[in-house]
Amino acid sequence: MPRLSKPALPLFATLVILSVAVLGCGENSSNQTGGGGGTSSSEKQPSVAYITNGIASFWVIAEKGAMDGGEEFNARVNVQMPANGVEDQKRMCQDLLAQGIDGIAISPIDPDNQGDLLSEISEHTNLITHDSDAPTSDRLCYIGVDNYTAGRMCGTLVKEAMPEGGSVMIFVGRLGQANARLRRQGVIDELLDRDADPNRYDDPGAGEIKGDKYTILDTRTDGFDFGKAKANAQDAIAKYSDLGCMVGLFAYNPPLMLDAVREADKIGKIKIVSFDEDEISLKGIQDGEIYGTVVQNPYKYGYESVRVLAGLARGDKSVIPDGKFIDIPARQIRKDNVDEFWAELKRLTAPVEASEKAAEPAAAE
Amino acid sequence: MKKNLGILGILLFVFIATAMGSDSFFTAYNLFNLVERSSLYGIIGIGVAFVIITGGIDLSIGSFIGLVAVTFPFVVVSHEMSLGVGLLTILALSVIAGITHGLLITKLKLQPFVVTLCGLMIYRGISRWMVADKTMGYADDKFEGLKIMVSSMNKLPGFQNVEWAKHVPVAFLILVALGIVAAIFLNKTIYGRYLLALGRNEQAARFSGINTAAMTVLAYVICSLITGFGGLLFALDNGSIQPDSFGNFYELYAIAAAVLGGCSLRGGEGSVFGVILGATLMRLLMNSISMLGISDQLEQTVIGTVILVGVIVDELVKRYAARRNAIQQAKQANT
Repeated sequence: MPRLSKPALPLFATLVILSVAVLGCGENSSNQTGGGGGTSSSEKQPSVAYITNGIASFWVIAEKGAMDGGEEFNARVNVQMPANGVEDQKRMCQDLLAQGIDGIAISPIDPDNQGDLLSEISEHTNLITHDSDAPTSDRLCYIGVDNYTAGRMCGTLVKEAMPEGGSVMIFVGRLGQANARLRRQGVIDELLDRDADPNRYDDPGAGEIKGDKYTILDTRTDGFDFGKAKANAQDAIAKYSDLGCMVGLFAYNPPLMLDAVREADKIGKIKIVSFDEDEISLKGIQDGEIYGTVVQNPYKYGYESVRVLAGLARGDKSVIPDGKFIDIPARQIRKDNVDEFWAELKRLTAPVEASEKAAEPAAAE
Repeated sequence: MKKNLGILGILLFVFIATAMGSDSFFTAYNLFNLVERSSLYGIIGIGVAFVIITGGIDLSIGSFIGLVAVTFPFVVVSHEMSLGVGLLTILALSVIAGITHGLLITKLKLQPFVVTLCGLMIYRGISRWMVADKTMGYADDKFEGLKIMVSSMNKLPGFQNVEWAKHVPVAFLILVALGIVAAIFLNKTIYGRYLLALGRNEQAARFSGINTAAMTVLAYVICSLITGFGGLLFALDNGSIQPDSFGNFYELYAIAAAVLGGCSLRGGEGSVFGVILGATLMRLLMNSISMLGISDQLEQTVIGTVILVGVIVDELVKRYAARRNAIQQAKQANT
């Protein structure tokens, strides 16, 4: 008689593994929180989502802000970071809409061409943008920095680092995103002493951009591929012997640039100006290897997004300011204020861990 | 059908488990999205199944999807040509890519892995260079007509007022049509049988008078054509194309769907229905992970594990079936 148990065994094993995977992890393990807050527990807790444009340490800080916001404004917060660009972002949003989410804050990867997705969200729930805006969509407000101004602030750091002028290379993950384009344009316009015009756009393929004192040699993109980002920096050092300053516009660029400059033994010779607050960048500023950085306040992006969405979910329209823009201004960090800033950053992010733990029993209910 | 019982079982289990674990899963909106995604990946899975059946592989699918997705708006919007010219361009690209892959593999006897790996890099580079890394979009009104292919069935003429049609993605209808044509071609036509024969034993097929070189080229052309078409659908669906990343890893999703669906990487085996099931299982898993609130950091691990388990189960079931057949034959021989 054939042994019937044979095929049943692996099938049974499969079901067990799947059950563990599917049911065991039932409650989201890492990125949801709900707070007890000050409000009464009988009120329905709104569920809001915070969608980033990728995975980066920058977003980890924003996530903590969002979690704190969830605690403060008594909302369940679901933070999602798409790994594979627009397609992932779309899938995440649709899945959240299917779950009947009460509001979505999104950093659109390509606002110009994600119109369909943004309308799909705004038809179903409250939509706000953070970090990168989509002005033509039906978003209720934008929370973030004025990226063009931040770019100009970055440009002034380059001027301070290299007052006698010189050549500059710009490194960035992608230029498809409005925030990257605006920052880059801000840097270029500042170095060329042009009037402020966020609508100007120098084609990155058009070659060198020459000003009186400063020349922008090129802008290199890496598509969030860190290996490539470092290779871009190394290649630039190899190609331009007179390279004066490297500007990294996304958080992960400056540490990789710093690595490349160190390896080439050109610390001090090639100045580095950074964007965002990666720990290695901050350490570089402390050590004098990086001149300075322009920081946004991702913690506030997360926190404010949740505040607005939770308010909207409760029918409070007053959370939206006139002009539909909540400005979270950028700051310049140099050697003289880096310690203070870093301490503040640690203070802002550290207590969240504790409150997350405190929130866990509430979330598990 | 019998061959796909293992994967069908897992599919049903995940489906039921998710439906039980999440109220939002079994809703019209979510199922529509799920079916649409499964259909898009199913389409490219069918494409790669044709080359896998011949014992080949196509690693260039993701980059080729990127190339098609970038080329189409490049021709139609940036160069203001008509939709027809755009479609002809991507059709031509697909045929040329398929013929080139096929000829390099059959005439120069290069490894399919190497040829298509080079394709992966070449197409990606061309896409980026062609548009200087600029994001390409499908927001232009010109694309409205084509976008019906990635919308719901009630946009089709004759179905405007049909209630249920709004819950059926057009991409699903395309998948069904393509699946039927592909299955008939593979199983009921002589050329389909040739492809299977060539995959099982290339030499034997050649000695029995099959022009195996021509059949191999045909398989790569079919794959590129389906990939090109799939790329167009993906592009229309997403609307925003980053030339440096759009389509990344799609070849692996397509290959995994084909393998999950019973295609042997050694060639000679495979069913279209199985490929569709494979693609669906992967999309279903991703959807389940969101719906059940499993941390998305674990997403790839869960999918990888399920594919592995699926393949192991499939292998064990096959062995068991073979042994039982042998026993039965032996019994019959005895009586």
